[in-house]
Amino acid sequence: MLETIDLTKKYGDFTALNSLNLKIKEGEIFCLLGANGAGKSTTINLFLNFIKATHGKAMINGMDVSKHVKETKQMLSYIPENLMLYKNLTGLENLRFFCGLGGKNQSKDELVDLLEESGLQTDFIHKRVSSYSKGMRQKVGIALARARGAKVLLLDEPTSGLDPKASNEFSELLLSMKERGVTTLMATHDLFRAKDTGTHIGIMKEGVLLEKFESKDVSFQDLERLYLKHMHN
Amino acid sequence: MNTILLIAKKEIQIAIRQRLITALAIVIMSLLSVALYAGYVAYDQQRTLIEQAHEDNRKEWLEQGDKHPHIAAHYGTFVFKPKTILSLFDFGLDTYTGTSVYLEAHYQHEFMFRPAQAHSSMIRFGELSAALVFQVLIPLLIIFLAFQAFTQERENGTLKLLVSQGISYTPIIWGKILAYLSILLTIVVPFFIVAFVLSALVNDSDSIPDVGLRVFFLILIYLVYLAIFVAFSVWVSIRSSTGRNSLLTLLTCWILFMIIIPKTTANFGESFYPLPSMKIYREAIQRDIKNGLDNRTSKTVREEKLKEEYLKRYKVDSIHKLPLNFEGVRMQKGEDYGNMVYDIHKDSLIDLFNRQNRISSLSSFVSPYLAVRNLSMGLTATDLNTSIHFQRETENYRRELVRKMNNDMAQNSKYGEFYEYKANKNLWETVKDFQYTTITGYDILSLYFIELLSLICWGIFVFVLLSYSSRKMKLVL
Repeated sequence: MLETIDLTKKYGDFTALNSLNLKIKEGEIFCLLGANGAGKSTTINLFLNFIKATHGKAMINGMDVSKHVKETKQMLSYIPENLMLYKNLTGLENLRFFCGLGGKNQSKDELVDLLEESGLQTDFIHKRVSSYSKGMRQKVGIALARARGAKVLLLDEPTSGLDPKASNEFSELLLSMKERGVTTLMATHDLFRAKDTGTHIGIMKEGVLLEKFESKDVSFQDLERLYLKHMHN
Repeated sequence: MNTILLIAKKEIQIAIRQRLITALAIVIMSLLSVALYAGYVAYDQQRTLIEQAHEDNRKEWLEQGDKHPHIAAHYGTFVFKPKTILSLFDFGLDTYTGTSVYLEAHYQHEFMFRPAQAHSSMIRFGELSAALVFQVLIPLLIIFLAFQAFTQERENGTLKLLVSQGISYTPIIWGKILAYLSILLTIVVPFFIVAFVLSALVNDSDSIPDVGLRVFFLILIYLVYLAIFVAFSVWVSIRSSTGRNSLLTLLTCWILFMIIIPKTTANFGESFYPLPSMKIYREAIQRDIKNGLDNRTSKTVREEKLKEEYLKRYKVDSIHKLPLNFEGVRMQKGEDYGNMVYDIHKDSLIDLFNRQNRISSLSSFVSPYLAVRNLSMGLTATDLNTSIHFQRETENYRRELVRKMNNDMAQNSKYGEFYEYKANKNLWETVKDFQYTTITGYDILSLYFIELLSLICWGIFVFVLLSYSSRKMKLVL
């Protein structure tokens, strides 16, 4: 579903991402771990075509994202670290607007159901987003992904700054998306969340993918040891 | 198209919920209402006064009694510049050019009753008219409406989310422009409806026969002007890194467009083409009439030549033997010479005005405000060209009146019979009532070709800027 071939991004002499080769199959949740500047967000931005690759290509469902911009974007949904919605609109209005942009015109009731299923408290659905917490905005993001029928989720540190309860709720939402066959690429610092939610984990450092494995093959302690080993080297 | 509409709808929703924008819109609507009301009251009062004064003067002329035609020519009459319905939208130069003029033989009097003379200096340079609101204040509203168009999306991170939905920048830009234009139309359309109803109620086709055409062009030009401001503000927002920078840039442009460039060009105009004072101007006319344009053919010499010519033509040796009253001929010839001198001086004065105005016209390429200001005055018949046209018409009327009096004197009285001969109402009635009709709207537009061209260029310029920016725009990650 998601694939990168020798994906490289350079800013002058600085290499942000170095020959990344990655394959993520349908329904997998691939967690990219790494310190700041490891190249996790660069990878996501390349999939989103926000930046152009210096070399190589990023593909979604076999399509090069830089050549099939519209088609690939229609398949994905993006939730950044701090999902910013329009503050003067309600959660429902935001959802309706973004769904409309993707050509989806669900009824008001359907959208309300989606927001509720995504965990947004009913009394907040008609309130302006300016009164929402970060966790609530992330839930609107998940509702949007579901409303748009996204096949791919690109998440950039989505649980950063969330309290444990909200973080846990978010993981549950991701797992429910996985059940629906949604493929997820998530950049995170959160080892626990990666082990708990991800099907696959990759460790990145200085633009290079050092290691990748299935999360079921490692314990949390092993993962932590492995991560720290790479970070200290 | 659907994407553009969606974005426009979202922008309108957000703008409505922003208190500042709502407050500004209410202020603009209130100002437009006050301006319209004040304009209508002023129009109605002046129109009534002018119509009454016009009627009284005509009656006075016709019923002045039997008298010598030359005394009647000096008795003279007043003519009044009719107040047109469009002047309630844009006062233009009406406040400064005067509303009436006294017409008599030999003299071209100054226009009187300039409303600006009665105003304090504060009001004189900033009367509240609907045109002022459209030209100066609505662009300010546009700035507050659009300065954050893109900076806020960028600063809040919503632009990333928008772009991640697979839409390009072009529909985002046009969606925003459509939204701001829709908001503006919501504010100005009620004004246009009320203004239209008022102009329909007041039948003003006598002095300005093509009101409909002028109103059409007026609306079109103002819409283009406001659209240029909207597009320009959105472009500045695209190019600015923060909302603060965008607002500062736009306010600086507003000050440049509305104050600095117009004042500077006016000062340049005055420096490059200085106007003579009224005293010098009048003295020069009197001197040329007295000494002749060549400074050799004085009035006495000219009259002597005329006398010889008439004696020769009628083969007589005394003006007493002429079959007509030579006094009437002499007066008319003197009048003709005075008119010729007046025309030469007047034309050179108008030429100076035109040269000054040309600087203002050309400056409209750097300030769209100047383009719309000049076009608006032209289309509402409150500009300098209409004023000059009115002055020419009154002068032609004066000349015709004096010619009729002199011809009657020459044909029907004898030389030396100044008090004996008296004309009556039959002669006064041959002088038709003065009715002024403005030049046509198309003629006015042709006089403002540079301003029209500059508005078109501004339109193309901002369109090209936006197209270029939408292609080159990058996300700040």
